[in-house]
Amino acid sequence: MTLLVAERLSRIYRLGDERAVGVEDTSLSIDQGEFAVLAGPSGSGKTTLLNLLGLLDTPDSGRLFFEGRDVSSLDESSRARLRREKMGFVFQAHQLIPVLSAEENVAFALWLRELPEQECCVRARRALRDVGLEGLETRRPGALSGGQRQRVAVARALVGEPALILADEPTASLDSATAERLLDLFVDLHSSRGVAFLFSSHDPRIVERARRRIELRDGRIVSDVTAVTAVTAIKSGASGGAS
Amino acid sequence: MSGRWWRLAARNLGRHRRRTVLTGSIVVIGFIATTMTAGFVSQTFTGLRDVTIRGLGGEIRLVDPRAAGKTDDEAAGFLLDDWKAVAQGAKDPSVVQAMPRLSFFGLVVKGDRSAAYLGTGTDPAMEKRASLLVEVVAEGKFLADPEADEVMLGTGLSKAIGAKAGDLVTVMTTTPEGALNAIDAPVAAILRYPIKELDDRLLYMPYRSAARLLKAEGKANSVVLLLKDRSDATLVAGRIVAELKRDGQPVVARTWLETATFYRQVKLLYISIFFFMGLILATVVILATANTMTMSVFERTREIGTLLAIGMERKAVRALFLREGLLMGVGGSILGAILSLLLRAALNASGIELPPPPGGTHGAPLHVDFIPLAYASGFALMTLTLLLASWWPARRAARLNPVEAIAHV
Repeated sequence: MTLLVAERLSRIYRLGDERAVGVEDTSLSIDQGEFAVLAGPSGSGKTTLLNLLGLLDTPDSGRLFFEGRDVSSLDESSRARLRREKMGFVFQAHQLIPVLSAEENVAFALWLRELPEQECCVRARRALRDVGLEGLETRRPGALSGGQRQRVAVARALVGEPALILADEPTASLDSATAERLLDLFVDLHSSRGVAFLFSSHDPRIVERARRRIELRDGRIVSDVTAVTAVTAIKSGASGGAS
Repeated sequence: MSGRWWRLAARNLGRHRRRTVLTGSIVVIGFIATTMTAGFVSQTFTGLRDVTIRGLGGEIRLVDPRAAGKTDDEAAGFLLDDWKAVAQGAKDPSVVQAMPRLSFFGLVVKGDRSAAYLGTGTDPAMEKRASLLVEVVAEGKFLADPEADEVMLGTGLSKAIGAKAGDLVTVMTTTPEGALNAIDAPVAAILRYPIKELDDRLLYMPYRSAARLLKAEGKANSVVLLLKDRSDATLVAGRIVAELKRDGQPVVARTWLETATFYRQVKLLYISIFFFMGLILATVVILATANTMTMSVFERTREIGTLLAIGMERKAVRALFLREGLLMGVGGSILGAILSLLLRAALNASGIELPPPPGGTHGAPLHVDFIPLAYASGFALMTLTLLLASWWPARRAARLNPVEAIAHV
């Protein structure tokens, strides 16, 4: 079932007379339970597109549908509600609140929904356990390693049981081993929960593991390949070559 | 539910302890300055009020209706025909005593030297109880015998005629009918009156002696009432005037506050200074706090962007910063109140002697009054000031673009 549909999205930045293309005339759809990556070199429009799809930014033109509903013209407050109820975000830097414990940072996403304290605690602990941080609930971000902080950020994104998690360069600030473990976690969570993941990254490890790779260049999608399609294409190519 | 947001706001204040302590100190100092100044000013008002009332001899003066709306000089010729009847009619539970006062003027002579005087005939015992004259006796003894012909002179007047306590002087005046009259009277006391213009002209003598001199027995310019409680003056005055009117004794009442122009001017001046000082304090607190909060917003830009991204409403972001300001205002005010009470106790116990209040004769030990209204006002002022100071930074935080904020370096 289709979760997110973007129709001819454009986002152009203007600095005086200069015109910089963020995203231009881009259409795509994301299905439930997808594990996709927006790939491409720096400046290709990955983050811009991710921000548009995550309702963090508003397109200059085009339309966006979430679960079949047109969300292009929602007001600020409705967009915020949609983000906190249906989406999870993981950023390059963990962006945790330094004065809150790991558990409170995760629970914060539920505080925004005004859920009872007890429920917030239970769900936050469960999310921390799911990302392998059991026993570190009371630690503040300053007392956690970079990888642990990013796991807390993942737990925060997951705790609200969103339909879609958007992750912008989630491994960029991590060392290689930690990045690998985080990717394993993403794959496990995707398999166990069926939540859709959409990454923006040029990290080849993410690109390799993604089931779908959407390649951008100069703000436009230049290729959109799923693993099955790729395998089929290779197989077709091989058989074609043989004939 | 909102408890968690208050907790978060409190913890956010702990991010930069030194900065929070510095800003909080400004709030604390502002609070202490407000409450201590109010306490000190209140003491000054009390002192000045006492001096004013004791200078008048009581809180209410009952005068002839013809004297209504006239100055004391203009009203000098309008006498109450029977002061005793007026005093009798003014028997109210709030009244401690009713004292006659008879005003006159003329020349006082000793040997070949004479000087003009402003005279007052009064009841010695009542005057001693009600007024400050007894405190300014520089030489001799206060009037004692209500029947005796004796006088008390201001220092300036006594010097003008070369008189000292025990000397015999001649007091000359013109009666209301225009006849010249004089009596010889010994100087009972020399008074060092704090206002020089009066000290140069002042003459007091027992009422009966003055009445004989003026040939105005039973008459008086005013009957001065001393009350148990000063704050009741207007109420009691209205009651007594109504009562006397029913008894066929029409009088006009002048409360001490109506007569005390100097007191009112000083009070207005002090209140203006106090208001101006409060304005400066509030400005300093606003600038300091706004600076702190603006820095806080700047430093937390990426974090705010993240909060907005994960679905925090803009109004909730604004409320978070306002809570931080409010907490600093409330916390600073509570600490300020505690320190203010301690400082007040220390100052009151220190025994520091203050110079006399304007128009006063004696200094008084420093006493800072406890004014609950000042504490409540200080609390409201500091809290509102902090809210106001937090408003713009909070608004700025709430209006951040999440995409730009997350990318902020």
